[in-house]
Amino acid sequence: MKYLTNLEHLDPIDLSVGYPILLVLFVPLVLGAALLLLRPLREGRAARKTFTAAALAVDLLLVYLLLRQPDAKPAALFWLTPDLPIVVNQDLLSRAFLAMAAALWLAAGIFSFGYFKGDRREGLFYGVYLMVFGMLAGVAVSGNLISLYLFYELLTLTSSLLVFYEGTHEAVMAGLKYLFYSIGGAFLALIGVFVLARMNGWLVFQPGGLTLHENIAGRTPVILAVAFLMLLGVGAKAGMYPLHGWLPTAHPVAPAPASAVLSGLIVKAGVFFAIRLVYYTIGADLLRGTWVQYAWLTLALVTVFMGSMLAFMEPVLKKRLAYSTVSQVSYILFGLALLTPTGLTGGLLHMIFHAVTKCGLFLAAGAFIKQSKCTRVDGLEGVGRAMPVTTACFAMFGLSLVGIPPFSGFVSKWYLATGVSGAGVGLFALIGPAVLLLSALLTAGYLFPLPVRGFFAPAKKGVREAPPVMTVPLAALAVLSLVLGIFAQPLAGLLAQIAGSVL
Amino acid sequence: MNLIPLILAVPLCGAFCTALCGKRGKLANWIALAAELAVLLMAAGTFPPLADGLDSCRFLLVGEPGLAFAADGFRRVWLVLIAFAFAMSGLMCPEYLAHSHAQARYQTATLLTLCGTLGVFLAADFFTLFVCFELMSLSSWLWVLHEETPGAKYAADTYLAVAVLGGLVLLLGIFLLHIGFGGEPSFAMMRQLDYTGAPRALRYLTGGLMLFGFAAKAGLFPLHFWLPMAHPVAPAPSSALLSGVLTKCGVLGMLLLSTTLFQNDFRWGEVVLSLGVVTMALGAALALCSVDLKRTLACSSVSQIGFIAVGVGLISLLGTENALAVRGTVLHMMNHTLIKLVLFLAAGVFAMCRGTLDLNELRGAGRGNLPLLLAFLTGAWSVAGIPGGSGYLSKTMLHESIVEYTELVKGSGGSIVTELHIVEWLFLISGGLTLAYMAKLFLTLFVAEPAKGGKPVRMGAATLTALAVPSAALWALGLAPHPLTDRLLDLAQPVLTGAVLEHPLHYYSLANLTGGGISLAIGAAVYFCIVRRLLRRDGELVNVVPAWCDVERKIYRPLFLRLLPGAAGLVCRMVDCSLDGAVVLLRRTVFCNLGKPKREVAGVRLTDTLGRLCDRIVLLLNRTVRRGDPIEHRSFVYIFAEREREIVASSRLITVSLSFGMLLACAGLVATLLYLLV
Repeated sequence: MKYLTNLEHLDPIDLSVGYPILLVLFVPLVLGAALLLLRPLREGRAARKTFTAAALAVDLLLVYLLLRQPDAKPAALFWLTPDLPIVVNQDLLSRAFLAMAAALWLAAGIFSFGYFKGDRREGLFYGVYLMVFGMLAGVAVSGNLISLYLFYELLTLTSSLLVFYEGTHEAVMAGLKYLFYSIGGAFLALIGVFVLARMNGWLVFQPGGLTLHENIAGRTPVILAVAFLMLLGVGAKAGMYPLHGWLPTAHPVAPAPASAVLSGLIVKAGVFFAIRLVYYTIGADLLRGTWVQYAWLTLALVTVFMGSMLAFMEPVLKKRLAYSTVSQVSYILFGLALLTPTGLTGGLLHMIFHAVTKCGLFLAAGAFIKQSKCTRVDGLEGVGRAMPVTTACFAMFGLSLVGIPPFSGFVSKWYLATGVSGAGVGLFALIGPAVLLLSALLTAGYLFPLPVRGFFAPAKKGVREAPPVMTVPLAALAVLSLVLGIFAQPLAGLLAQIAGSVL
Repeated sequence: MNLIPLILAVPLCGAFCTALCGKRGKLANWIALAAELAVLLMAAGTFPPLADGLDSCRFLLVGEPGLAFAADGFRRVWLVLIAFAFAMSGLMCPEYLAHSHAQARYQTATLLTLCGTLGVFLAADFFTLFVCFELMSLSSWLWVLHEETPGAKYAADTYLAVAVLGGLVLLLGIFLLHIGFGGEPSFAMMRQLDYTGAPRALRYLTGGLMLFGFAAKAGLFPLHFWLPMAHPVAPAPSSALLSGVLTKCGVLGMLLLSTTLFQNDFRWGEVVLSLGVVTMALGAALALCSVDLKRTLACSSVSQIGFIAVGVGLISLLGTENALAVRGTVLHMMNHTLIKLVLFLAAGVFAMCRGTLDLNELRGAGRGNLPLLLAFLTGAWSVAGIPGGSGYLSKTMLHESIVEYTELVKGSGGSIVTELHIVEWLFLISGGLTLAYMAKLFLTLFVAEPAKGGKPVRMGAATLTALAVPSAALWALGLAPHPLTDRLLDLAQPVLTGAVLEHPLHYYSLANLTGGGISLAIGAAVYFCIVRRLLRRDGELVNVVPAWCDVERKIYRPLFLRLLPGAAGLVCRMVDCSLDGAVVLLRRTVFCNLGKPKREVAGVRLTDTLGRLCDRIVLLLNRTVRRGDPIEHRSFVYIFAEREREIVASSRLITVSLSFGMLLACAGLVATLLYLLV
């Protein structure tokens, strides 16, 4: 059977130029595996910490090297079969994603040194943590749908180990739920990969979508159905209704640094998949005005409201934050589903800002739990006087997530809401912003009480401020969430450039 | 030289410095005062002799459109007024806060609020206005919370909730404005545009949402409830600002809407006018009944905001002939700021010396303190609208505008003339009530026989200055209407309306004096008939407002904290569990062989079932009949299982015993015997 291809030919990667990609993919994997396999490295307390710190520094250096490279054409890394190339490429979107991931990975990594103090199994965590970064980088630099699918599944498998880490019955069940939902979702996406591959063999990403035109005549309904299934499938990772159920179960049971990256970054892999699918494979024009767009918008808005409402009702801090993630990630999906440049810019901005904020929130929650042994919000009264820095950071993240200017969350919400103009989505232009703001109100309702009761109640006894190794990354993220909001123009311009290239 | 960036930057830098002060509260107070005075100087420097032309600037911060600021005549006047009010309140701080905790926090909040408030008034478009509005709204929350008493915490929670809700609804309105009317034009451009062709539903929706946001800040009915609660619990210097300056941010928003999106808009004007009338009358009635000094002043603020809202409504209704309404509204806004500054600072002196705000305990407390008496009298005189005070001028202009509009409607054969007469009378009555409650305050504090004990009320030189300067300003505005007041209004008027005043108003003409006179007569009647007769028992003032009238405690809190989240939460939980529920259902039905959890059976099946049944029954009884006195028991499953084991064991014992064997042998013998016989 002859496959149709969208490129004349696919060059194998030129390693003399493209070696940083290879390094970014495999060095974290090797370093992580080394930590897991080499017993002296894992057992020695100083050794594992030094090694992990060095490995994180190396990762960051490699990412920096990669970011300095000029944009490269998609090139084949290797061929699974003659018809199945694993393609890597590097464009503005993958750079943005990679830079965000590397920065947050470092912050959560440093935090974990303090968080795991006194835990003898921490070496296992660090090893897996390092490996997951390689997989996430793989998602970022994938150049076609097949390689994206590959790294996406590998990311699921490796990151599930982070959920299993605690080893309790609850953690194991949550990890299994995570695996079932994610793999189930990925299978839905796989169906789409099969169908689309029949029309376009290599499925290499192109801004604006594949040039499918001569091959799709009369097959639009099929493509739409497939697109919807794929969106549902990747929605599992992004926590979109109806496949969101794993998220509030799995994120809270993982250790705090893991929840931070799970909630801040790994759910974004689903968002990233959706962007690559809609804007780089199928093409926004094909979906605009169809039932798929409306269904997607509806699901996103339902999730936005449901997530924040349930977060509002939830008394356990980390679970509350997990529901908040469900809600916030669907803000991003709402922006993507608008299929307008402003909406997409807003979605991308919110992807980054939410990553910073939610990562910070989970780290702060981890600090609270570590220092006060209290997992419920109502038990944390007076914690602000005992842990002023952490609580102040929590308050700043809260302000950002609610969308109070000049914090970063406000900027992205502004783009998301004004993105409806020109989208031609009828009543959604009214309902969308209204739901976003209703949810913002609920966000205020579930995030503000903690710092307010924390600062303005008698100090909680026997609780001390977290050590600097935990507070410094937190403070850095809090400042970042403010500075990115005040000086949002350069970043917004950059992301608008991405949006302009695909729409 | 363009001073706008500097005017906004100084308070921000000051806030940064005071935040670093920590426990050195005195230092923080002085830094804040210095920053406020610097802003006041710079604000004065924006006036034409020193700076010419229109100052404007744009910062590419916070997202796409950037922050745009512009200073025109109206805004320059307000810039000075705001900076002045903050500086005066700052003058009182060192004395008032001397023994307070967290002074640095207080001053940081003050400077951030100053920056936000200046930004709101300097904003050139709604986006910028919103950004500054939120800064102002949230930083001032720390004022309300400052004392950290249970009352303050309760009020602060409400304040924060209203601030966040109002802010987000306002933002939604601004979104719709942006989406529906294209881009983000400045106010000056919006005034040139004609919005009458735009879709009406969208226009009113946008306006309604924005009105909600602004009304929440201004304290307009039905969002007035937080104001009498939050203003009194804050320290006096900040209550003065909350009441005098911050409410004006909300009023400014309404004013801007009336002069841009809803120029000439009949319905909009009617809605704002009606809300204003209700607020005006309600606030005055509440103030009359209150027995707490600062609460009375806060209710008075609600009422005065109602007066201003009436003016804002008239600006829209009068359309191209709204010059008088604009002047009256702007002047009343300015007056109210100065009046509340004086009155709240004076109330602060009482609070400082006596530690209470209860009017019955403060009876006669001000006797013998002449400066305080004069300052309080100035404020009371002015707000009551007695000729000679500046309040008389603004109320006269607003009253004239109502009359003018009534004539206009009559001329065009409109059908709402009766309603307008009612409005006019409510206006006069509310003015009278103002006199009545101010007289009540003044006479109670300064004339009545003092209750026994209590320190004499004293104040320092700085506080005296803080009281004297705004009082002097009030008298100047009131006594020099043509050389001073009219000139200020001439600066402000062209910014808000294209209409010109056809003939200058004679404030002290017979017709205008009559209007004022009617109002004052009503006030005197109310004071002597109602306040002295009905609101006093055994010489003590009493609050006759029943407790169930508290809309916040009885309606808003239960509705927004229990009812709505409960209902929505239930629906959301069902949605949330839909997929997990489906999985569980499938496992129980179609895939029953896969996932059915295995339970260990204790004893045999019969005892297990029986025991579980009994457990259920007892559980049911405990939940219903024996609710207060539950039956405590071990699980019947185990009780039955043990009993069954006993029975089995004993029966086995029987079967293996010797006597049982002999018994069986006997039975066998008997059987043999019977066989032989038969």
